[in-house]
Formats: sequence, C-alpha cells, structure tokens
Amino acid sequence: MKIRTTDLTRTYRLGSSEIIAVNKVNLEVRDPTFIAVVGPSGSGKSTLLNLIGLNDYPTSGKILIDDADVSLLSSGERRKIRLFRMGFVFQTFNLLPTLNALENVELPMALAGKPRKEQRENALKLLEAVGLGNRLFHRPKELSMGEMQRVAIARALANNPEIIIADEPTGELDSKTAKEIITLLFDINRRQKTTVIVVTHDEKIVDVADTIYTILDGRLKLEG
Amino acid sequence: MALATTFVIAVGATTMRYTTVIKEMNVLFSGQVMVVSNKSIIIQAIPIGGGMLPQNSTERKIQNVTGVEKTVPILFVTPIDIGGILQPVPVNFSMGIPVEDWQLILGPTPLKGNIGHFPTTESSNEVVVGASLADQYNWTVGKRILVSSYELEIAGILDTKLALLNRCIVMPLKLTQEIYKYPGSVNIITVKPLQGYPQKNLTDTIEKQIPYVSALTEDERNDMIQPILAQVETWNLGIQTVVFIMSLILVMTVTLMSVSERRRDFATLDAMGAPLNHVFRLVILETSLIGILGGAIGIFFGSLTALVLASLYTSIPLAQFFPSIFEIVPPLYMLEIFAAIVIVCCFGGVIPAINATRMRIAEVLRAEY
Repeated sequence: MKIRTTDLTRTYRLGSSEIIAVNKVNLEVRDPTFIAVVGPSGSGKSTLLNLIGLNDYPTSGKILIDDADVSLLSSGERRKIRLFRMGFVFQTFNLLPTLNALENVELPMALAGKPRKEQRENALKLLEAVGLGNRLFHRPKELSMGEMQRVAIARALANNPEIIIADEPTGELDSKTAKEIITLLFDINRRQKTTVIVVTHDEKIVDVADTIYTILDGRLKLEG
Repeated sequence: MALATTFVIAVGATTMRYTTVIKEMNVLFSGQVMVVSNKSIIIQAIPIGGGMLPQNSTERKIQNVTGVEKTVPILFVTPIDIGGILQPVPVNFSMGIPVEDWQLILGPTPLKGNIGHFPTTESSNEVVVGASLADQYNWTVGKRILVSSYELEIAGILDTKLALLNRCIVMPLKLTQEIYKYPGSVNIITVKPLQGYPQKNLTDTIEKQIPYVSALTEDERNDMIQPILAQVETWNLGIQTVVFIMSLILVMTVTLMSVSERRRDFATLDAMGAPLNHVFRLVILETSLIGILGGAIGIFFGSLTALVLASLYTSIPLAQFFPSIFEIVPPLYMLEIFAAIVIVCCFGGVIPAINATRMRIAEVLRAEY
C-alpha cells in the first residue's frame, strides 16, 4: 500500500480561535517500512494518524492511497479500506469489554464477513503468535496492560492488513512490556512485510524505526 | 419494560374480562325481547333496581299482545346468601326459571360430565349450579347446600363458558320466589316474538298496553351498554398508548445513555471499518432484546396481576383462576402486547442507533484527551 499526502492540513475551531493541528504535511509511505512519528503532546501526531487512517477528514490538502484521491471515496469505500487494508492499535487498547480475547480478535473478521470457522482458526493463530495462547477466553479486565495491547495487535492483524497504524502503543505500558510490544511490531513489519506507522514519545520505538519524523505545531519534519 | 408490560396486561386483561362478561350476557336472551318494571334499568341481561312485576297478570297481558309467541318469567336475584354469608355483587347470581322453560333460556347448555339432570318439578328443591361456584365450594352432584337458610340439592353442574352461568344457581321459579320471598313476582319476562315479527313493534306495543313496564329489544339493550363499553375500551387504549409512549421515551433515554457511555467502543468499531448498518443493527438488537425480555417478564407478572385482581374483585380464590388464565388473559392479547412492546423498543433504539453510527474515533479521542 502506498500512501502519499500533499499539503495535508487539519484545523479545529476552539471558541473564536482556530487551531492548526496538522499543517501542510507532505508524507510518503511505501511498503514495507517502519515509520515513527515523534512529537510532544498536542503537536498533532494523533490527528495526522487519524487522517492517514481515514478516520478523519482533512480541512485541505489530499491523501492519496495507491495514487487514488481518498476524498473522492464514499464513506463506505473508506470503511472498506480501513477494514481490509489497515489495522489500528490504540494507546488505550480499545478492546470491547464484553468480548473475550478470542472474540475481540475475531471481530474484524466477522465484520469482513469471513466464515465462522476461519475467524476462529485465524484468531487462535494470531493470539498464539502474540503469546496469548493461554489467555483466549479472558475478558479485557482480566488481562494485564501488556496482554491487552497484544490482543489489540492481534486484532489489528486479523484481516491481514497492509499497514498497521499505532497511536502511542506503549504509552500505557511499563518499560519491559513496552519493549516486548515494540519487538512484536518490529517482527510483524519484518516477517509479514506489513508497513507500521507509529506515533510515539518512546525512544525505544525510534531506535527500531526505518524512518523517523518529528512533528511540532502540526509541521512534519524528516529526521532520518 | 417489564413494569410497563405488567401494567398494560393487568389493566387490559381486567377491563377486557369485564367487557366480555357484559357482552356475553346477551347471549342468554338472544333474539328475545326483555320486559322489566319501568322502575328498573337493565344492563344487558341484569335488571338493576328493585322493580318487580306481578308474574301472572303481566304475563297474561303480554301474551295478549300481537306478535308474541312465548313468554318466560324469570326471577333474577343478586347478591345471594350461601352458607350464611352474603356473596357480593357481581360474583354470584340466582336465577329462577319455570322448569318447562330451561332449554329456552339456557339453550343446549350441557351438564358437566353428563352427570345429573335438570330439575323437573317446580316444587322440588333441586338446583343446577355453575361450574365455577361448584369448584369454589367443592359442590358435587347430589350434595345438599344451604342457600338463604333453605336446604337445596345439587342436581347437576352446568358445563358452560359463560361467566354469568358459571356463577349462577339456577332453580325452579317457584322455589326461587319462595327462598327470596318474592311470591308471585318476577323481575324479568322474556318474550319470544313470532317468526319474522319485528322486535321493535313488539316492544312499542307492550309499553303502550302495559304502562308499568319497559320493554327492550336486543338491539336496544346492546345500544344502552355500547357507549359505556366503547368508553372503557377508549380509556384502555389511551392508557396503553401513554404507557407505550413512556416506554419509548424511557428506552430511548436509557439507550442514548448506554451508547454515550460506550462511545469509545462504537468509535473503535467505526475505526475498524464496521459497516454502518452493522452498528445500527447492533443497537436495535440490544433494544429489541430489552423488549423481548421485558415483555416476557411483564406478560408473566401482568397475567399474575390480572388473576390477583380478578380474585380480589370477585372474592373467588386465586387458585380457581389458574386453569382459566388464558380466558382472563387471552393468548392473542399477550401476543399483541408482546409484539407492541418489542416494536416500541425497536423504535426506541432508532435515535441511539443513529447516534452510535456517528461516533468517530478522532472525535471521541479528541474529546477524551
């Protein structure tokens, strides 16, 4: 999957003032790569990620996926891209509390209309792969933070996406668990040839990234 | 939902029960004109007020009117004293009919288990009783009972669905007049018109020729009660509508709160690319389940409440109503209310469902941080 942004801008209105969260960002993502976007709180990292992940609409500028302008896509077509071609990992995991680990991982496959048997087999494999083969039927509240993030990563991989978009995936974790999660994301990138874009404060992620961007006041800068 | 359904079922079934009982009373005197004292009013088949008619002279005068085929004098008494306890209105009735006219009034009503017989002589102390009365007092054929200090023998138990006959002691007219101290008097004379003779002409002539009576055709009797029944049904419908509207608002509010509390979950589904109709159906399914569960619980407790109310109103033991639960709360009515509550819940979920489809991860996360 190739993603390119041109002069991507997102502004918000806060009372009478206008906040520019993302300011004329030009970014190109070619697979498979591991990209880290680093910046302080409020710098526009998450907004940029939501725009790239088609979860938000730009105020101006363009997002091109495989050279096609996504602004021309219908809401349903954007959903299909999110469902079949992208996987999301959130800082607060966002697992559905009423479902157990296995069901959480099956969910994207169910939404994609995959057969029940295939959902179960794939979910089992993914949870085994992230080291949670023994926690299949535990609900999120019965799992540790690290385990929840592993389930979230397995869920993000459920429909075999071309890109994983992770918003502060280690933000809630201790350093040991954070390291395990980073290793997991790195392995996914390298073994499955899946592009990983991570916004983070975590320097350990920066260490493994192929490309590093910094973002400040909505402006993106290539660091290396 | 359960509470709303309980209320609707209890109120609906109770009012329906009484309107049905009132409606079915006319079945007894179908196709006949009823003559009562002009001091009485008549509700379907029951004369209200103390107006009595001298039996022989009034019957003779009516028989002289053109168009009359047959007259039957009836003494209808309520309340009645069973075993020394006065049974309240409208539970128990006593009806005195000349023995030769049983069939004319009761029609082909059989006796339970084909055991016993209808009394054959006016002077006998034999009576037939309604099945509900017999069940309540453990009366069996051949048993002797005490009614207003008179010892009577049960000759048979009526096998009928009519509520009026179920709670009735039917006895020979002379015996009734003797027991209740109305010698030579009756309070109803039913008149069967000649084949094809208009009931209205007959009642007009009877009222003209006998100044102390009121004569009513079957239509007139129905017309008298119809506005009251219509009003009861309107009120019932009104109560149901109010309860359903309140339920709709309640389901909508609760579901809106629930969706709002789970906005992160819905936003996550949206981020994962869940189709909008999937999210919409999810919320509607939840509210439908509330309706199904609440409706089922409500029908159970509503039916129970209707039975308790019937027992309280009639002083008939609750256990006696259990076998006839589906007569008091008809299955079709249960089904209608169940369907209505599920539909109300589905509609109650529409606005929350639309809200759920509009949850965007970017907005939810921005609001949270």
